[in-house]
Amino acid sequence: MSNKNKKSGGAGNGAAQKQTRQQSHDSQDYSSFKIVLFYCMLIVFLPVVTFFLLKGFVLDRFFSLSEVKVNIASAVGAVVSLHIALGLYIYRAYFGATGSKAVKED
Amino acid sequence: MSSEVSSDNPIYGPFFGVMGAASAIIFSALGAAYGTAKSGTGIAAMSVMRPELIMKSIIPVVMAGIIAIYGLVVAVLIAGALEEPSKYTLFRGFIHLGAGLAVGFSGLAAGFAIGIVGDAGVRGTAQQPRLFVGMILILIFAEVLGLYGLIVAIYLYTK
Repeated sequence: MSNKNKKSGGAGNGAAQKQTRQQSHDSQDYSSFKIVLFYCMLIVFLPVVTFFLLKGFVLDRFFSLSEVKVNIASAVGAVVSLHIALGLYIYRAYFGATGSKAVKED
Repeated sequence: MSSEVSSDNPIYGPFFGVMGAASAIIFSALGAAYGTAKSGTGIAAMSVMRPELIMKSIIPVVMAGIIAIYGLVVAVLIAGALEEPSKYTLFRGFIHLGAGLAVGFSGLAAGFAIGIVGDAGVRGTAQQPRLFVGMILILIFAEVLGLYGLIVAIYLYTK
């Protein structure tokens, strides 16, 4: 940290430019981290929440279903929701990454 | 309780079901851990030169995590169906053991495949970005192996 301050004192304009570039890198890292964290949380927690919600909801609404069928329905629902979340993430990574690259080139 | 124990409902019947639930999550987690670690070393090596590709290269780690969720779903299903020996036939114990082993070993195999493909694919994507589509396809085919195990496990569970 002290080394950086010395440099900025000596070189002036160049160091300031470097610092702004560093800041833009940091903000870019932060935004991509937010996106990745959001999708990872979605993929980890959405199936678990879907499983238990579906189990409670289906049990409440349709009492005619047997216990095994309710479990199967909630398990299938959890896996389907998991794959939807994964598909969203892959879509975002594939099409969103080109956008962020263009931003970087600016 | 012990008076209701018969040859169809032996005292050790739930042992098989418990082992099924345990092996479902244990082997799936083993595969997921291997996949995460192996592709994680590839991501770490690749990110030194191409840090902007992190978002794309996290995909193998996410897919390895999904393998563990398959195991978790089956383990929760089996654990929910466990009962005390007088209401739990030996046949159901065998079924649950089979379901747990099916998803567990499929998850182990899929996790190995995802780890190896993720490591090589992420390193290759840094050099040639057009490899990304191929890597995703191979990862999906590896992931589907775990899904087959899950399907067989759920089908067994309904018996």
